[in-house]
Amino acid sequence: MSVSALYLHIPFCHAKCAYCDFDSCGLTGAALDGAIASYLPQLFERIDAFGRTGALDHIETVYVGGGTPSVLGRSLVDVVARVRTWCDPVEMTCEVNPESFDMPLAEGLARAGVTRISCGVQSLHDDELAEIGRLHTRATALEALRCARAAGFDVSCDLMCGLPGQTYESWLETLQGIIAEEPDHVSVYPLTLEAGTPLAQRAVRDGSLMPDEDLQADCMEAAERRLGRAGYARYEVASYARPGHACMHNQAYWTGRSYLGIGRSAAGMLSRSEATRYAALLPGLSEQLDASWDAARVRFVQLDDAAEHVAYELLTAREAAAEDLMLGMRRSCGVHASDIAHAAHVIGEDAVDEVARIACRRGLARWCDARLVPTEQGWLLGNELYGLMWDLADPA
Amino acid sequence: MNTQDTSHIRNFSIVAHIDHGKSTISDRILELTHTVEERDMASQLLDSMDIERERGITIKSNAVRVMYEADDGDTYQFNLIDTPGHVDFTYEVSRSLAACEGAVLVVDATQGVEAQTVSNANLAMNANLDIVPAINKIDLPSAHPEEVKTEIEDELAIPADDAVCVSGKTGEGIHDLLEAIVYLVSPPKGDATAPLKALILDSYFDEYRGVVATVRIFDGAIKKGDQLTMMQAGQSFLVDGVGVKRPAEVLLDELTVGEVGFVVTGLKDPGAVRVGDTLTYRDRPCAEALPGYREAKPMVYTGIFPIDNKDYESLRDALEKLRVNDPSLVWSPETSVALGFGFRVGFLGLLHMEVVKERLEREFDLDLIATSPSVDYHVYKTDGEMICVRSPQDLPDVTRIDHIEEPYLKAKIIVPPAYTGAVMQLAIEHRAMMTDMIHLSEKSVEMRFDIPLAELILDFFDQLKSRTKGYASLDYEFADYRASELVKLDILLSGDEVDALSFIVHKDKAYPLARGLCDKLKEIIPRQQFEVPIQGAIGNKIIARSTVKAVRKDVLAKCYGGDISRKRKLLEKQKEGKKRMKAVGSVEVPQEAFLAILKVDE
Repeated sequence: MSVSALYLHIPFCHAKCAYCDFDSCGLTGAALDGAIASYLPQLFERIDAFGRTGALDHIETVYVGGGTPSVLGRSLVDVVARVRTWCDPVEMTCEVNPESFDMPLAEGLARAGVTRISCGVQSLHDDELAEIGRLHTRATALEALRCARAAGFDVSCDLMCGLPGQTYESWLETLQGIIAEEPDHVSVYPLTLEAGTPLAQRAVRDGSLMPDEDLQADCMEAAERRLGRAGYARYEVASYARPGHACMHNQAYWTGRSYLGIGRSAAGMLSRSEATRYAALLPGLSEQLDASWDAARVRFVQLDDAAEHVAYELLTAREAAAEDLMLGMRRSCGVHASDIAHAAHVIGEDAVDEVARIACRRGLARWCDARLVPTEQGWLLGNELYGLMWDLADPA
Repeated sequence: MNTQDTSHIRNFSIVAHIDHGKSTISDRILELTHTVEERDMASQLLDSMDIERERGITIKSNAVRVMYEADDGDTYQFNLIDTPGHVDFTYEVSRSLAACEGAVLVVDATQGVEAQTVSNANLAMNANLDIVPAINKIDLPSAHPEEVKTEIEDELAIPADDAVCVSGKTGEGIHDLLEAIVYLVSPPKGDATAPLKALILDSYFDEYRGVVATVRIFDGAIKKGDQLTMMQAGQSFLVDGVGVKRPAEVLLDELTVGEVGFVVTGLKDPGAVRVGDTLTYRDRPCAEALPGYREAKPMVYTGIFPIDNKDYESLRDALEKLRVNDPSLVWSPETSVALGFGFRVGFLGLLHMEVVKERLEREFDLDLIATSPSVDYHVYKTDGEMICVRSPQDLPDVTRIDHIEEPYLKAKIIVPPAYTGAVMQLAIEHRAMMTDMIHLSEKSVEMRFDIPLAELILDFFDQLKSRTKGYASLDYEFADYRASELVKLDILLSGDEVDALSFIVHKDKAYPLARGLCDKLKEIIPRQQFEVPIQGAIGNKIIARSTVKAVRKDVLAKCYGGDISRKRKLLEKQKEGKKRMKAVGSVEVPQEAFLAILKVDE
């Protein structure tokens, strides 16, 4: 097997959102220029280093995420071009924010070979956007979507429910407004308060900022209904697409396929044999692999700009199998009986059967055409379902 | 004949109302006598348990030897025994006093004489100790030492002219206090050549050395290699070593008459050594044993269950090890439909319960559930038999009960006159009856009540403190058993009675308590996949209800750029949280739900 997916991380934004705990610095002007000037050469060097080993030869999908990649402006085109020197992906996505995305950038990216734009819209209500520290408005968001469309991209937009001040009615309006723009793909994320973020700190003092889980559930259900009626099928817990427009790259995450992550805080996953092959670029990994004869899968996160430090997590075959089941339950097509049989071979038939039975009994999953798929409850109470599957990793 | 000179030994305890500053004074004494150098001082050195330091309370007595070079040029051996201040541990105080000739009675210069000052002074006087009054915290602006002296004389009948004014915080007056101890506390008497007579005042279990006993020698001497017998238990052992705490352990060749120190017994059975027993020579025993201690009577009983039933045996072992230095701990096996196998454990009070539960969890790494506290009810059945009921589950069917009696206390509350109304009100709410009211001075009144123990163990003390702005102090002792109209309140989760949540309560309080409990449980029990109705019932009659709504959404949808490790870690954290819960039927119930009764605000 070869690595078919590549993720690049751009850890910069113009301003950090109140709910965000990803690795990203809010910078503008000269400070941003300086940071970019220092970051990109190191990013390029690592792209080239992997390229030279042949690791990028079979890349089919690329995802440039952040942060806000569009704050790079024209430099984002250079990033794309650099990747393109090593591979010829069929899908190449760039994340953008409306305030830093315009027609010239759209056209530049299109020419460089980007096929898909994922736009962080979150809401079409200006007050809700301001509350979470977004820099754009409804008007700039719609304008950005139109630019993307005009440049010929596959267009996706991210929406959030459970935002401070958001109501069920305002959510329906946001949904309606987005559907009217006819994007190809919509992602719906319920807001989570992450420890240490400004929003979480404010919520300690003001309980009304805590996302209301009942409202979030209502919003998620409404999203499925409305998007479904408009021709968007849910293919993953948070993802809806018109036929043929599901994000190939994200599906690699859910299906146990290997992917490389390049850039500070980028995450990757490789099989043991792949990891061994590229060990020269993964500092400290060889020692860890030598010490863990039973590691079958390596997950890693690049810790610094120069990739001198990388954090690893080594998973046994059993853990990898449990993880695949866990991730499979995020997808509407679930896990095929043959894949479950494969997992049972590694984990033990009784344990896997028992978990599948419990998931069905608790109404979180059901069998459908030889596949174990999540139910409506299984979508909303995903953590229960994923937790059941991941528990299979523990032999005790 | 070798007569050991004991004239330079002083054995004393420091006693006080809680928070009057015993442990701080002990610290200063250690510092001033160079027992511990200043740079090594950890605050409240003698409180060696983590719980003691965190809570700033003393739970266990602790004996330390310090050498003091007095103004007369001689060096004195002080054996200082720090004692607990909380009323739950009065028993510990009386144990310590039996090993002393003197007591430093500490009174807070801003608070004056409080309820436990009175009881501790009485304990010391009954033990015929020489009392050294010390007025502490004189560095505070609100200190009024002269008035406190008057209070000590008027309320305790202890001459206070010689009372030493000290500040545990600044160290002021500590030297004077040490001098006063030299002059006011009598040296111990005894004969070093007589057959050994030593009191075991404390003991603890050490994995490597077995039971280590703290002793006070009244006659004779102990050295390594001696064959000793515990007179009550009848068991003998070979002394593996003797020493003293300064406060780190120092081994000595010999402990002799009048001294306090520890004896390494090497006994591996934690239950072998009983506090209060008398040590003597196996081959040359003393004529009669020391009087020992009266047995501590538990006041409160709760069920203690391991969350994981596999830990049942470990819990029993842990209780046995704790019992070595906490002989007041008693238990019997208990089974609960909801919680499985556990123990019904008797405690001296609620603080004692909290401390024991916390020690079990920390020192023995157990996850435990404690259930609602109960007292020891006397249930008279229609067939004439009387049974003691310490657990609501053991209450017979209503039709077989003639009547129930519950324990009453005599409680003593000292409070400024302005708050007597508030205390009266609180007393009425807790079924207490006032029996007496004495004006101690212009600024303090002593109110006496008869109050059911069951009322006192809930939130009485916290309420008393909050309604009197912290001025009131409380002390109590057991009085007698009286008939009361009591009922068993049951709690049902999803329609099933959960035995571990049942509670015995006065019938007039059952309705508000049931409502309060249902509401509190609704807050504590997290939302689950299904709706959980909570009901309060007496017999078959539902008297209160609330509902935990079903959880609608629990999902981490965000992709995190493919950082799956991060998603998994969040799932594992959620699972960790669930481990601390107990599955009762299909409902996941957090530990604290079983003590919700303590958190119901009326």
